[in-house]
Amino acid sequence: MLNILVCVKQVPDVNLVKIDPATGSLIRAGVPAILNPLDANALEAAVQIKERYSGTVSVITMGPDQAAEALRECLAAGADRAILLSDRAFANADTLATSYVIAKAAEMIGGFDLIFCGKESLDGATGQMASQLAERFDASLLSSVKRVLSVNEREKVVMAEREYTNGTQTASAIMPCLMTVEKTNYHPRIPNLKSWKASRTAPIERYTSETIPGLDRAQIGDPGSPTKVPRTYPLEKGPGGKMIREGSAAKDAAKLLDLVADLI
Amino acid sequence: MKKSEYKDIWVYIEHDGKKAQSVSLELCCEARKLCDASGEMLVAVIVGKLSEEEREKVVSCGVDRLLCVCGTGFEPFSVDAYTELFTVLCRKYKPSAVLVGGTIDGRDFAPRFACRLPTGCTSDATQLVYDTKTGDIEFIEPAVGGKMMAVITVPVMRPQVGTIRPGTFKYQPIGARAFEIREEHFDFPPEKIRTKVIGFLPDELDETLNIADAEYIVCVGNGLKGADTLPRYRELAELLGGKLACTRPVFDRGVLPYKLVIGQSGVVVKPKIYLAFGVSGAVNHVTGILDSDVIVAVNKDPDAAIFGYCTYGIVGDMDEICDALIAELKARH
Repeated sequence: MLNILVCVKQVPDVNLVKIDPATGSLIRAGVPAILNPLDANALEAAVQIKERYSGTVSVITMGPDQAAEALRECLAAGADRAILLSDRAFANADTLATSYVIAKAAEMIGGFDLIFCGKESLDGATGQMASQLAERFDASLLSSVKRVLSVNEREKVVMAEREYTNGTQTASAIMPCLMTVEKTNYHPRIPNLKSWKASRTAPIERYTSETIPGLDRAQIGDPGSPTKVPRTYPLEKGPGGKMIREGSAAKDAAKLLDLVADLI
Repeated sequence: MKKSEYKDIWVYIEHDGKKAQSVSLELCCEARKLCDASGEMLVAVIVGKLSEEEREKVVSCGVDRLLCVCGTGFEPFSVDAYTELFTVLCRKYKPSAVLVGGTIDGRDFAPRFACRLPTGCTSDATQLVYDTKTGDIEFIEPAVGGKMMAVITVPVMRPQVGTIRPGTFKYQPIGARAFEIREEHFDFPPEKIRTKVIGFLPDELDETLNIADAEYIVCVGNGLKGADTLPRYRELAELLGGKLACTRPVFDRGVLPYKLVIGQSGVVVKPKIYLAFGVSGAVNHVTGILDSDVIVAVNKDPDAAIFGYCTYGIVGDMDEICDALIAELKARH
């Protein structure tokens, strides 16, 4: 029986986030929070492994209460167990502090053979959570996995194809192993009505900084985060180029080609 | 932790024995400027044997010291060995910053040794600025899908670790200066390496996917109506003798492969003419096109940010303009 963990994140749909032109700050109101798209690929890989070898798939996330919705989405798409780590004390965590909390919670709920992550999140997009989680779990790391070839539970070895510079690398790793998943082969399944309904009422296990044993407060949230964001600023609009307005697509095209004639 | 005890900026030189990765050389050139501002030494860290010629290339970026590491367990690359090596080296030498190319391997091990030390790690900065007041490096990068810029610092911990994407900075060697060589011996026990490379199958060389050196690029953005509208853009690219490319959201939609993505999380290009159709102009895309000779933007939204960066702009339906360009090019041939 394989014990599989998928680490997911609920993110704002950044394509819909707008900037207030007056203040330069983000307008978050009305922007839907979604399951990070690449995490759905990671979940699908985990569920396929479970179906092939038998085991359980747990999903874990750290976030506000609403993040439970992302977990329900995962339950509908084949996860068996969902864990939400939610506490104001976790706020403003960078990847170092987040990976610490997730690993501590995972330690509490049981050892995992395989851990899956999406390649990066839509919002932070540092792409470094997986590497730091692997460190926290003391796991081997296979990044950019295109296909999991085999899982040998007895020998504790997993074999996978990875996207690598200009080609595909086949590699093996000793379990526990953390894998980040490419979107190429693991297309998220569409939940059927029955599993979707079941996910609505399924239990979500919730933990706070008080209920995760042995949590060092200096390592969580803002105090545990060595990277800071002292300021953000809106982009300066570029000076802009020459606008072509000839009155029709055909005339615009002709004008443009005249303008760039010596470059073609 | 006393920040003042940590000195010098390190650049990890990733190489395959024959050639140093271009991103490592780019980082050396950029780190040179930081060192000039901070008064620190620029240290290039070379693990394993690198040819004399390539070492000279590294030195020509204005390196003050080569830290050459020899020992077993570092070939082929493994996350386990390189994580431990950099943890040990950082504890011994106390660099103020370590910059690593944002390659597949670099992105695997740099955040991990930062976690083990522990210290802060940033990724994909597009500008590095030394703050003389705080002594910190400002890692400046597009955030929230390229809608704003964020300044990221590691104000308390050291070293400041950063991975930087290939092509972000320019390889402009300022020439060699007097430098010293320090050698370090470190063996990593092979039984502690938990991953093993079993095989490698090179991608079939598909020239249409090689956009980095294309002279003409037709790029489609999220304004693309659907995959069925792609052929006209491909045709326009072919008529120009160039390549088709896309922005990140088009890849996210599953329309075109990742190798065709231009921008901060993709390829940096420098064509003679770059034509953007339905590209909004998010800065993480724009950072990948700024070295183009001419930027042409076509968008139905007159307020699209891309018009701020273009040489020539046309407000209109992307498909119609593309068709008109195809017709006009054919008529002129």
